[in-house]
Amino acid sequence: MKTYKREATTITAKKYFLRYWQLYLMLVLPLLYFLVFKYAPMVGNVLAFRRYRPGMGAWGTEWVGLDYFKRFFADPAFWRAFRNTLVLSLLNLVVNFPIPILFAILVNEMRHLAFKKVVQTVSYMPRFISTVVVIAILGELLSPSSGIINILRERLFGLDAIYFMNDSKYFRLIYVLVDTWQFTGWTAIIYLAAITGIPSDLYEAATIDGATKAQQILYITIPSIMPTIMIMLILNIGRLLSLGFEKVLLMYTPDNSMVSDIIDTLVYRTGLANQNYSYATAIGLFSGLIGIVLVAGSNTLSKRLTGDGIY
Amino acid sequence: MRVFKSRSNFLFTLFVNLVMLTSLLLCLIPFVYMIALSLSSPKAIINNEVFLWPKGLNVEAYLQIFSYPNFFHAYGNTILYTFGGTAISLFMMILFAYPLSKSRLRGQKVLMKIVIFSMFFTGGLIPNYLLVSSLRLVNTRWAMLLPFAINQFNLILLINFFRTIPADMEEAAIIDGLDYFGILLRIVLPLSGAALATVGLYTAVFFWNDWFNGLIYLKSSQFPVMLFLRNIVTGTSMVGDAAGAGDKTSIAISIKSAVIITSTLPIIVLYPFLQRYFVKGIMIGAVKG
Repeated sequence: MKTYKREATTITAKKYFLRYWQLYLMLVLPLLYFLVFKYAPMVGNVLAFRRYRPGMGAWGTEWVGLDYFKRFFADPAFWRAFRNTLVLSLLNLVVNFPIPILFAILVNEMRHLAFKKVVQTVSYMPRFISTVVVIAILGELLSPSSGIINILRERLFGLDAIYFMNDSKYFRLIYVLVDTWQFTGWTAIIYLAAITGIPSDLYEAATIDGATKAQQILYITIPSIMPTIMIMLILNIGRLLSLGFEKVLLMYTPDNSMVSDIIDTLVYRTGLANQNYSYATAIGLFSGLIGIVLVAGSNTLSKRLTGDGIY
Repeated sequence: MRVFKSRSNFLFTLFVNLVMLTSLLLCLIPFVYMIALSLSSPKAIINNEVFLWPKGLNVEAYLQIFSYPNFFHAYGNTILYTFGGTAISLFMMILFAYPLSKSRLRGQKVLMKIVIFSMFFTGGLIPNYLLVSSLRLVNTRWAMLLPFAINQFNLILLINFFRTIPADMEEAAIIDGLDYFGILLRIVLPLSGAALATVGLYTAVFFWNDWFNGLIYLKSSQFPVMLFLRNIVTGTSMVGDAAGAGDKTSIAISIKSAVIITSTLPIIVLYPFLQRYFVKGIMIGAVKG
């Protein structure tokens, strides 16, 4: 009886494979890609525990245990980068989390449809412009000798030119505002979709009861899109350590490094510029693990609060 | 003539439209300023006379960058990476997304987990670099293309879209004697034009804008135009220096602006026509993910 059953399953498996082998054939190449380009580098993180010697392979030569971790824990440059990452992320969250919500609410209140369409189309566009271009334009706008901002400051208020891009005082502000410029319109799409789903009779009833626009926004719109707001907030917390590395790298100058050196730029500099591969891998792995904890934690939180997670 | 029910509603509408007008201008002014600078004379730039309209209108900066072989070269490289990268990427993503869209296929759940896990935990910069280097891809153009063949977000977009195709269409095709490759080619892909356009556009924009991978993997003759621009901005690379030393900075400004405009032009020009595909992605993606 037992042998018969086993035979039956092998036959089904064979049949199954004969029927679907083409589907499995399709995924061979992409799966191979995932193993080589996504999973091999994950395994490559063992380099954090091994000493790397040039020309002796990507896996390092001998085990050194937690040596590199101990070293960067004792390194003030690491803690500076850690603090800079946290401060910049939190500042960015505080400013750029609410702005797209407000933007979406206001776009939804626009009555002139052609104007609304133009505003929406134009506001998504910065999301697709290269960060290099964004920072290059910024450099020209803020240039101390020829930038329009400094010219206006001088002409209108008689103020001296400021080298904004090189001054550590302005780095965080500029970073956050550039993020506002790049992503407000794009992120607002998600909230706009949620707002569009609100039944219109809610607003009609409120209008009959004499509610003003502001009251309608406060008591109908915002409560109705609260689930979306919560999910987005949790998503953002999960991504807290992953700042726009390329943007920071492009804005980085020795003069603003006090505040602009974040974990990712530190990894880049110690790893690729100074070829301290193992040390940089250890820092990268540490920040990656914190990232995973943040994502898992915020997902659990999301499931508990809203009944829905991101995975 | 619109009638406002109350004064407060009128003020509110006024406020909304003012905020929106300001946002609109804030999005556009940086580009207008770049266009104005790129078309102005060095003299007007150095005297700080350029605002949002070119002064001493001329196309000298454009003529100069077009005579500059490195710029042409970099631009050509970018076009190559964009088309090559998008083609490879679409091929790989279609091959993966179709089987993965069949949630009853054995092993599908494990494969989805493999995909999703790799979105949250990555190898990190150094292991990735060492991988590309040990595959002997450094200083080859493949380094720009192969490591980014599949973006997991786009893959999930495509999977979600394939799932919306009715199953009975496939069943009918099987009865008609089509195999799965036939179904994918003759039924699924022709129905997925919008999704493929969306994912293809995201991918193309990624490759067009990429510079960092060029920086760490390529030699200068292989640089994409964005890296060329970045090197001009940081002063690593020379801009045209045909003019006298005194004019050099102001010439550099108009040339920089001309490079900014020409390297962004394809996106700015195509964007309004393709906008609906760009937006579609975020909507399909929002279903789950």
